[in-house]
Amino acid sequence: MTEITTFGELLERHEREIFAYALRLVGDRDDADDVYQETFLAAFRGWPPPRRGQERAWLYRIATNKVIDRARKAKRLVRMGDLRLAAPERDGVSMADLTTAVKVLPEGQRAAFVLRKLQGLEYAEVARALDCSEEAARSRVAEAMKKVKEAMK
Amino acid sequence: MIEVMSDSRERLLARARREGLEAVGYRVIDSPLGPLWVAVGPKGVLAIHYGSEPSHRELARIVRTYGPGVLPDPRRADPVARELDQYFEGKRRSFDVPVDLSTLTPFQQRILGATARVPYGGVATYATVAAEAGNRNASRAAGAALGSNPVPIVVPCHRVLASDGSLGGYGGGLAAKRRLLQLERGTVPPGGWVRADQR
Repeated sequence: MTEITTFGELLERHEREIFAYALRLVGDRDDADDVYQETFLAAFRGWPPPRRGQERAWLYRIATNKVIDRARKAKRLVRMGDLRLAAPERDGVSMADLTTAVKVLPEGQRAAFVLRKLQGLEYAEVARALDCSEEAARSRVAEAMKKVKEAMK
Repeated sequence: MIEVMSDSRERLLARARREGLEAVGYRVIDSPLGPLWVAVGPKGVLAIHYGSEPSHRELARIVRTYGPGVLPDPRRADPVARELDQYFEGKRRSFDVPVDLSTLTPFQQRILGATARVPYGGVATYATVAAEAGNRNASRAAGAALGSNPVPIVVPCHRVLASDGSLGGYGGGLAAKRRLLQLERGTVPPGGWVRADQR
């Protein structure tokens, strides 16, 4: 894959997955739209990426931080219709899993869960996106899975 | 998802424009010669590239001058898209949109400037274009400059032939050159206009 040198390439290559990620994290189309826009604007403003070739993890990190920044005190309302847009049925993760994850997991664990189980990132990429060690990424995903399963009992 | 995305993208791009993050706007247009990637900067048309994606070299040239703020922006490229449509329909013989050659070397600019003066339906040779640009002996370099013309069609390098009258080369491929000449002149002999004494 060729090196990304312009905002347009960054956008065209990654916007769909970042929008889906935002939707999977926040569970609401309008909020996902905000996260998507804020993520790319922050990337454009903060250009160039810290490391060439790792633009994807960089975008995920920005998006994750945007979601954490926006974390609301109010109880999250999950709109199933909006979540369905994100087509989450993958790797044994059902719509119910995702809905539960959005409701019960704190942002950091939710991000790890979605990055690994739905966005399909390798643990090394999850770690880069969340700015933590690979081991920490693994344990966050495992913890998240455990909580989701418990919540669904 | 795609519909949702297109609204979101529109809003994102509008915000990027308001913040001055877009230096160059681009879009892909359909043409009888296939898709063309068209980029427009603050001074005019920067690129018309055969294909739906620019080459790495093409982008590097734009980024060197205008930075990384190269974003999809259909409206910005609309005027040149309209003029290209009219040209391909046979309703336009010259282009009014400004062209930005400032990313090129002075020699390339002189060669393309001379090429832009070759009228619709006319032809010139690499040698005459080189002479027009002030260097009679630079026909080979003129050919190279025309081969990397970033704004073909609008700067009509398809009207420039080899010195023996054959079609020479073309960045978009000889089939495209032939079609453009056919559009402007009706017919094109199979080998170009090679003079009898040179066959």
